Amino acid sequence: MAGNGLDKERLTWILTQMTRIREFEERVKGTFEESPGVIRGHTHLADGAEASIVGALATLRPDDMLLTTYRCHGYPVALGTDTKSLMAEIYGRTGGICKGYGGSMHLTDVSRGFMGTSGIVGQGIPHATGAAYAAQIRNKGQVVLSFFGDGASKQGAFHESLNIASLWKLPVVYILENNNYNVVTRVEQEDANAAAGEPLATKAKAFSMPGVTVDGGDPLAVYDAVSEAVDRARSGEGPTLVESLVYRLSAHGNIIAPPGVPLHFPEHEAVTVFGNKEEYEAALRGDPVPRFRAKLVTDGTLTAEEADAIAAAAKEEMQDAVEFGLASPYPAGEDAVKYVYA
Amino acid sequence: MAHELPYIAAIGEAISEEMERDESVLYFGQNIATHEEDPFLKQFGPDRVRVTPISETAEIGMAVGVSIAGFRPVVELYMAEFMLVAMDQVVNEANRFHYMSGGQVKVPLVMKAGYGFTAGWAGQHTGTIYGMFMGVPGLKVVVPSTAADAKGLMTTAIRDDNPVAYFHHYLLTLEHGEVPDGEYAVPFGRANVARKGGDVTIVGIGWTVPRALAAAEQLAADGVDAEVIDPRTLNPLDVDTILESVAKTGRLVVVDQSTRHGSAAAVIAAEAADAGFGSLKAPVKLVTALEATVPYSEPMEQYLMPDDPKIVNAVQQVLGNAPVAA
Amino acid sequence: MSGQLDDGPGVELLRTMWRIRAFEERVGQLARANEVHGLVHLSSGSEGVAAGVCGQLRADDVVYSNHRAHGHAIAKGAPLAGVMAELMGRDGGLCRGMGGSMHLVDVAHGFLGATGVVGGNVPLALGSALAGRLAGGDQVAVVFFGDGAVQGGIFVESVNLATLWELPVILVCENNGFAEFTPRSAHTNVERVSDVVAPYGLERETVDGNDVGAVRETFARFLAAARAGGGPALLECLTHRLRGHYEGDPQLYREALAAEEWQQLDPILRFQRRGLEEGWLDADAPARLEQEAADEVEEAVRVARESPFPPAGLTAELVYAP
Repeated sequence: MAGNGLDKERLTWILTQMTRIREFEERVKGTFEESPGVIRGHTHLADGAEASIVGALATLRPDDMLLTTYRCHGYPVALGTDTKSLMAEIYGRTGGICKGYGGSMHLTDVSRGFMGTSGIVGQGIPHATGAAYAAQIRNKGQVVLSFFGDGASKQGAFHESLNIASLWKLPVVYILENNNYNVVTRVEQEDANAAAGEPLATKAKAFSMPGVTVDGGDPLAVYDAVSEAVDRARSGEGPTLVESLVYRLSAHGNIIAPPGVPLHFPEHEAVTVFGNKEEYEAALRGDPVPRFRAKLVTDGTLTAEEADAIAAAAKEEMQDAVEFGLASPYPAGEDAVKYVYA
Repeated sequence: MAHELPYIAAIGEAISEEMERDESVLYFGQNIATHEEDPFLKQFGPDRVRVTPISETAEIGMAVGVSIAGFRPVVELYMAEFMLVAMDQVVNEANRFHYMSGGQVKVPLVMKAGYGFTAGWAGQHTGTIYGMFMGVPGLKVVVPSTAADAKGLMTTAIRDDNPVAYFHHYLLTLEHGEVPDGEYAVPFGRANVARKGGDVTIVGIGWTVPRALAAAEQLAADGVDAEVIDPRTLNPLDVDTILESVAKTGRLVVVDQSTRHGSAAAVIAAEAADAGFGSLKAPVKLVTALEATVPYSEPMEQYLMPDDPKIVNAVQQVLGNAPVAA
Repeated sequence: MSGQLDDGPGVELLRTMWRIRAFEERVGQLARANEVHGLVHLSSGSEGVAAGVCGQLRADDVVYSNHRAHGHAIAKGAPLAGVMAELMGRDGGLCRGMGGSMHLVDVAHGFLGATGVVGGNVPLALGSALAGRLAGGDQVAVVFFGDGAVQGGIFVESVNLATLWELPVILVCENNGFAEFTPRSAHTNVERVSDVVAPYGLERETVDGNDVGAVRETFARFLAAARAGGGPALLECLTHRLRGHYEGDPQLYREALAAEEWQQLDPILRFQRRGLEEGWLDADAPARLEQEAADEVEEAVRVARESPFPPAGLTAELVYAP
């Protein structure tokens, strides 16, 4: 049975984090309507990927590390970074976790092992591989999780990093969150394996590395697959490629437009580009957050009231985060020349 | 007290001493430590010294990651051109993380790469391309011209908490020099006045520093007393020392093996034209490579490059002794 | 091996291999004497791959190579004198002295070039294959690279795209077990290059690269498939790099092969033994072919030496196309 060995506390934790991530992302999205102009540039949401994110993070110890893509909000939320500081960062304020220097695509919380985020597809994979090299030298059993999307798996950086990690037996787990879309391109249009109807985990064979595919909508299945990979890594046996099948429920990101044009989230590319409303609606029906909530309530792990309380707490928390973000002052212009050099 | 070393060995000595002094310093790259008798491998072990496949993106990207996680890697890249394969990691990742994280992380890595080998290594292995790495916020650029500076600047590069592009000139590889004994660090942003003089300021970079000194000797025979300055680092760039010299001499020639618009010389000239305008008695002359990919055939390769006669001629131009070339 | 080769093609293959062998040996001497200056990488030992592959290509098929390109250029039809003059930096060189050893180009013979950056040539071959497909013909593109290139990101990006778009490109890997100064085991724990590309599902085969007959046969199959509209294929040729990575490499990192061992592996000697056994090679042919090749190379040296150095102003003319 998936998630064997997870007690009520752990299972509750998983649902709580999934719920918190969803609420956080809903509030980020909502900001475009409620407070237009506050979020500038490009932001990417994790709604739909909560099960994959939390199922993976549930395997970690406090001294482990992770690096992700620019679709990075969900991870620090689950790790426990103060959501006020996350929202303030996305709003570009001094109260932000990066003091407004990074923004949505570059969240960082070193205190929790969330080591930094690149906005360039695939380029965080070598960063994670390097962090795993550090972990190997330190020899304290630390593991690194490297998250990236299906688009990144065509990058040379992916290939080079997985080869080295396998050769050096680095303590890293590569988690490929395959949501079938690279912006407006479907994975079969750009990936030889997908075009041949094969899972992307097949690529692991090129590195003599185990590769598994897992339902990223089921946090317990993800937990099981990633646990095994983490154990492998911790015991010095080297890396694993875990392909986690997810469906993002929002478009790739808000529209990209020059200043003056109000930014907003368009509809999912499945609909706007491929005219595939059915696919999108099926994904909505399979939404992992209510699905997991229903599972826990049905099997008696939680009562409906307990589950409601989790949702209510999340709502309140994220309302506070939004208010904090809006109230946090902007940095002074001259702060721009700080932090150029250490 | 000092000991004599070739330029390339001075660099190795710095890396070795820093690795001894600080356990967090690593050294990896292609073709490193490929046999058990390798001195670095023997002394520091297979955790800290590793050979990598031909994978520049991963090599430099991993250096970023291992730095963020608390180590201080020196990445052996051999040629500046190979950095181009991984350009994103060099100018869009390593240099930005400290800033974008609001100061949470540091990226104390060193990229060691050779350049300028005008000895028939042809179009893709001979470039002088440090200009591509100037003006990149967060990235420091180092260009030693002597064995002592090669050592001292590598020491500082490793100790610096920022990413450093350390460019060693291939034509200087076997140039011997006196290297001070013991711990030796040369600060960044401090130019060296290699020769004092009052009639003209000649700034050289890397291999063009000894060229400038040779030209200065020729000029001295003709009664022209040239001051030769070696900036040693291009970022940070010691503009003050150059401006002080120009205030004294009123005339500036900058010699750079890069192509004109991709050169550090152009940057230095702009600074002089800006803050040193009042001192200048003549236009600033740049002696750079002609704009072309470096050709293989020797006479053409030499034709493109700055040389002593070109430097002397440029000096004569700013002294008014020769017609100023357009 | 089936004896499909009668004396014609068999002797032609030997001629090509001897030509390359003699050329490379002479270049090594000239490099030591400083008549060829700069960086040279010799392909002595892997003549079987160049001959087996290029011998079947047309002038309108395009070949790309890496830094160890002399043999491929020669096998594709580049004139010996033109290559030699290029290595000597003369105006009569293939590239008028602009490129040198690592940047040989001979458009007339479809040799679109050598390159100095490992793996940099692979995507170019895709481009040529795409152009051929778009033009509606059946030309193919072939790219030679070593085992060291396979770990580079640029390689697998290319394999994915070539497979996805079903491009008529044949990837020929000369796996000599060394990438510069390190053995393959320092680069990856996947021993066979064909296993690295296995996940992409393209046609692939590993052959003994020193058996020119095997190279020829397998490549012929891939070539026919590509011409018939098929997609990419990878031919991994296990071969041997007799010389160092570059001329002057002290090769501290490996042990030299014993002469007797090399006698057994040498692609030329092996094929000659086969020719003698199968009867399509006369007993005196080996010595004759060797001498003919040496003479051809010497003539190339003579012509090259007489070629003037290019005019200095040539550089300015060639930076941009007019």
